[in-house]
Amino acid sequence: MKRFDRRWPIVIWVLFLAFCIYVASRIQIGADLNTLLPRSPTPAQQLLTEQLRDGVVSRLILIGIEGGAPEVLASASKELARRLRTEPAFVMVNNGDEDSLSKDQAYLFDNRYILSSAVTSGHFTPENLRGSLENTLQMLGSPAGAMLKRIVPRDPTGELLHILEGFAGQTQPPKQEGVWMSRDGKRALLILQTAAAGYDIDAQQLDVALIYAHFAENARNQGFPDLKIQLSGPGVFSVESREHIKEVAFNFSIITALLVSTLLLLVYRSPQVLALSLLPVLSGALAGITAVSLGYGVFFGVTLGFGITLIGEAVDYSIYYFTHLSSEKPPNKALENIWPTLRLGVLTTICGFSPMFLADFPGLAQLGLFSAVGLVIAVLVTRWVLPILVPVNFSPRTPTRLAAIIMALIRQAPKLRPVVLIAVVAAALSIATHRDPVWSDNLSSLFPLPEAQQQLDQSLRHDLGAPDVRYLVVVSSDDREKAIELSEEVGSQLDSLISKQALAGYESPARFLPSQNTQRARLAAIPDEKELRSSLQQALAGLPFRSDLFEPFIKEAAIARSQPLLTLSSMKGTNLGLQAESLLAHYDNRWKAMLPLRGVTDAPAIQQVLPRLGSSIILLDLKQEGDSLYQSYVREAVLMSVFGALAIALLLLATLRSVRRVAAVFLPLAAAVIIATAILLASGQKLLIFHLVGMLLAVAVGSNYSLFFDRESNANEHEADSRRTMVSLLVANISTTIGFGMLSLSGVPVLTAIGETVAIGAFLSLLFSAVLMGHRIK
Amino acid sequence: MTRTLAARLFFWTWILPTALTVTSAFASDQEQNGTAWTLAKLMQDLAQVKKARATFVEHKHLSMLTKPLLFSGTLEYTAPSRLEKNTLLPKPESLILNQDKLVVKSGNGEERRTLSLQEYPALWAFVESIRSTLAGDIGTLERFYHVTLNGHPEQWQLELQPSDPKIQSMVSEILIKGSFAEITTIEIREAGGDYSVMRISRDDS
Repeated sequence: MKRFDRRWPIVIWVLFLAFCIYVASRIQIGADLNTLLPRSPTPAQQLLTEQLRDGVVSRLILIGIEGGAPEVLASASKELARRLRTEPAFVMVNNGDEDSLSKDQAYLFDNRYILSSAVTSGHFTPENLRGSLENTLQMLGSPAGAMLKRIVPRDPTGELLHILEGFAGQTQPPKQEGVWMSRDGKRALLILQTAAAGYDIDAQQLDVALIYAHFAENARNQGFPDLKIQLSGPGVFSVESREHIKEVAFNFSIITALLVSTLLLLVYRSPQVLALSLLPVLSGALAGITAVSLGYGVFFGVTLGFGITLIGEAVDYSIYYFTHLSSEKPPNKALENIWPTLRLGVLTTICGFSPMFLADFPGLAQLGLFSAVGLVIAVLVTRWVLPILVPVNFSPRTPTRLAAIIMALIRQAPKLRPVVLIAVVAAALSIATHRDPVWSDNLSSLFPLPEAQQQLDQSLRHDLGAPDVRYLVVVSSDDREKAIELSEEVGSQLDSLISKQALAGYESPARFLPSQNTQRARLAAIPDEKELRSSLQQALAGLPFRSDLFEPFIKEAAIARSQPLLTLSSMKGTNLGLQAESLLAHYDNRWKAMLPLRGVTDAPAIQQVLPRLGSSIILLDLKQEGDSLYQSYVREAVLMSVFGALAIALLLLATLRSVRRVAAVFLPLAAAVIIATAILLASGQKLLIFHLVGMLLAVAVGSNYSLFFDRESNANEHEADSRRTMVSLLVANISTTIGFGMLSLSGVPVLTAIGETVAIGAFLSLLFSAVLMGHRIK
Repeated sequence: MTRTLAARLFFWTWILPTALTVTSAFASDQEQNGTAWTLAKLMQDLAQVKKARATFVEHKHLSMLTKPLLFSGTLEYTAPSRLEKNTLLPKPESLILNQDKLVVKSGNGEERRTLSLQEYPALWAFVESIRSTLAGDIGTLERFYHVTLNGHPEQWQLELQPSDPKIQSMVSEILIKGSFAEITTIEIREAGGDYSVMRISRDDS
């Protein structure tokens, strides 16, 4: 019975680990994009996040093929497009070749009387026909006539050209060898649209793999081994950043674990100590994953990367334990003396993180939950499980020489106080006078994209002449037909704004698929054959057209009169059909029609006109909404940090019961945060939310150091104990700096931001604790 | 709407037939070097011209019409890349080409459209047949056309055959005739027998 009493923590621990492993093994790794989506957005933000998740934009993949002469690139582009068109995963594959456009041209021409907004009731009167014919004559006089004269006998009123007019301002990529190619002829270009939504990273990953596979096979078959393919687009980014973060998290966890292990081996010279030291870390990480998994269902890539940092931090507890372990005390008494301080340190850390759980920002909340649970479990395992596992009479070698050096250094440290004072003042001044904005102000800074990938995307977009869509009119309705009708109303308003030069153009689902009412009205505007023939006869008087030239027009207009109305299925197989479908989305039982605007120069004018059409019409400024979304994140994060700092202060005040001691504990941390911020800004960076998270973490970790200094200067300790504490602090600090320092080299912006902040902050915290509090150490 | 449509198409009017007279101080030099006269030399001479003004008259013959169409107006060139065509009859209209931008203006000077040549490869080819000739830019000319030179300095003829089969299917040949560094006639032969002739005379006023 007594034996069981002593061992019960082990039983609980093992059961707990088994449970964690069971949960963690079923975990889903989520998309990083999801991390960024707020839980309670405004309607405009809701639209923005829908667009980011599975809108048209999110389904786009841009492809560049490089590494050959233009003829080679063109032939590779054609063959790749041909192959990809056979894959149902891609709803649109466009490389600018004739094949990809011929169906669209046929659709537009064959249905010109339904699609042309010029077809109204008076369009075919003798007077109006006369006007159309005069325009056609003018056109024939221009060299454009060379291109267009073939269709004049069938379309003398210029309906096709009127329809195409709607595309004006829509940039077409340059062509060489019959396909889209950059102007310098070094890169063939393709645009793909995936069937899967952008947020569906697993599907996007399959799509990306499919493209690479077809490209490789194609390069082999055609004998172009030197060609290279580059992919870009939101889905591709999500796939690559997930892979990258996974890879980084894995590789850097291993490197960090090796480095920390080496450190522990150097200090304690015992493989046994090393193995036992890692138990709290591993338990903490597993518990963290389990908590996130249970709390959120998915585990974000970013959080996974964050797991590394836990290695650097949670191993501190083992270090404290083993440094205080000696043959003079039983293993379970080793921590007794420092336990109150250690417990306070853990509580401080949790206070620092707790506001993050409440954030409207799942990414931050996950980080908070992960860290807090991980640290609590790590400290519990250190306190109750480790002592049982340590063999009786086990006593690790105390690094006495190291201890002597450390104590000597700490006694000298207070001499640096003037230096610290000057550094803090200088840092504060440099922050106050910092010219550029301190905070990064756009949403894209949240996306963990490495520089090289951003540049590739920009250069592909530049080559394609495809600027980012910034303004979008969104129309919503319960009914699809109604949404199209509203789009038509918005379209006619936009047309008049175009003539006032408020914008250059727009796309609309109604352009390729007018509402049923509009279609019926246009067809009804075509007179019967007899009437049309006589009107044409009158209109032609005095014009130099040959008399029988327009027989094809009369015949085709008569056929059009009785043609069936267009539906989405009439557009099957055309790029236009896909475009119409992608501009008409169905969310939560509401139909939403999207009208992307081009070349907007006067947004307020547009904003002024639209509300008159009804409340279901919103002009969405993607950039502004995105930035304000981001700024609300920043505000929230700053607020959370302030609450976190307040919570820590209250906790310390309640425990230490002395304002002077609390101030002394805070002082080194404040100095460290100020200087770390100044260093980051001086290095030319703008601060991200993740820097702020890093600061919180640095304060949480650093408070452990200053709390120990506080304890040593206020408790009556043996000098040996004091030494042990100081050694453990230094080793713990080095391991933390290694862990976070490695993270700053990861190349993933989010992780780099957190890594560099904590590495600098934690190191300075210990240094300043020694400088500002070391004088009272015995 | 039809007006903008017409404007959009009418830039073509200007692209092919534009040509200019020239006040060249170098005409006399050419006579001295007559023996070594080549395409390169013609281009070099054309490149010396920095500014020119001219009037034009254009006839266009189309098989679907019962009589030819007639246009007239003025042309203006400033080296190396600005070209302006003002049609006065039958309807006033201006087209201004500057570098890779084409601005279409209606009779009353109101700007109706700005086009980027990069977006219209066929249009770009047409523009360069004239502009590159005026600028003496043989490199650009040969990018779009097979170029042949016949005649002598006093009466020469450039034959431009589009190298792109797509443009070939619309325009089979462009003939630019001239004397020294001056262009006098531009003939465009379209596929299917339609053709147009533009005569250009120097305007020293």
